[in-house]
Amino acid sequence: MTLADLINWLQDTPLSVTIRESDWVFPTIESIHVAAFVVVVGSISIVDLRLLGLASRSRNADELIRELLPITWSAFAIAALAGALLFIGKPLTYTASFFFLGKMVLLLLAGLNMGVFHLFVHPRLDGPADRVATPLAARASGFVSLALWVGVVAFGRWIGFTTN
Amino acid sequence: MLDQGVGARSDATEFETLAFAMLESFAAWLGRTSLSNYVASQAWVVPTVQTVHILAITVVVASAVVLSLRLLGLVERGQSVGALTIRFARPSIVAIVILALTGLLMIAGEPTRAIFRYVFWWKMALIALAIVLTSGLLAALKVQAVWEDPQAPVPPLYRVLAVGLLLIWLAVIVAGRWIGYAQGWPGSPS
Repeated sequence: MTLADLINWLQDTPLSVTIRESDWVFPTIESIHVAAFVVVVGSISIVDLRLLGLASRSRNADELIRELLPITWSAFAIAALAGALLFIGKPLTYTASFFFLGKMVLLLLAGLNMGVFHLFVHPRLDGPADRVATPLAARASGFVSLALWVGVVAFGRWIGFTTN
Repeated sequence: MLDQGVGARSDATEFETLAFAMLESFAAWLGRTSLSNYVASQAWVVPTVQTVHILAITVVVASAVVLSLRLLGLVERGQSVGALTIRFARPSIVAIVILALTGLLMIAGEPTRAIFRYVFWWKMALIALAIVLTSGLLAALKVQAVWEDPQAPVPPLYRVLAVGLLLIWLAVIVAGRWIGYAQGWPGSPS
């Protein structure tokens, strides 16, 4: 069974047909997807702007990250689940969409950036609570993260304009 | 157009008839402006404007998330509500202005779309409610000890209001997404 067979099979499943053909199922799931990823991007940008030293300078960066990460992950789980359902509705359309594939690549890069940050940069953020400036590597992580998430949102929106 | 519209329905109130006629002439006027023609003629403008609109709402929702979780005692425990408001109020206000401007651009690009749908007016009502509620909540918190003292308790009513506020903003997002799917009023221009 090739990947193409799998996509074709998925397209014909009753779940896919229901999501695709109902008037309200797709918009409902999409609304949940948007509401959840807005929380994801919002909570991530608070951290990114702190890493860049542009906001929340009164807060210790490490503490701020520990507080916000559970919010980011909970919202991400909802956004990803809703996103998976949207994909199941139109797998043939999305696997052929440049902006969908591009969004997945950007998400992967954002995840990679986050992984690198937590492994190598986060452990160095153990300064006192009043330390405003973060190391250059932390600022770079914050900048790359913001840029990638803006890209994820933009590509996501373009999917809607280039597929139907 | 009007003879088939809401205004001509036998049970339409005078208000409905008048409001519909006003929206119709507003949409017709807006559709003739050069701004409207520009937005409609450039394929990249609408998705770009929508992307900015979504990025701006993330700022508002992130602020509502932090405020409600702070009042619930889950984040920012060492911070007074006053200090928190200073951090998040200005970005939120800037974001709301950007939301209004990008929203107007979207309406300009397709004047016959949003304003002839109930869900758009629900969204506007929810935004008004959220703004009034936020102002009221912050004004009420200002006279509480927790405005200055991070250790002071938060009265339960304020916690409920803050969570309600967050839910209203999420409802605004849902209503916004449905503008793209909802049916226009019968007889509305297209």
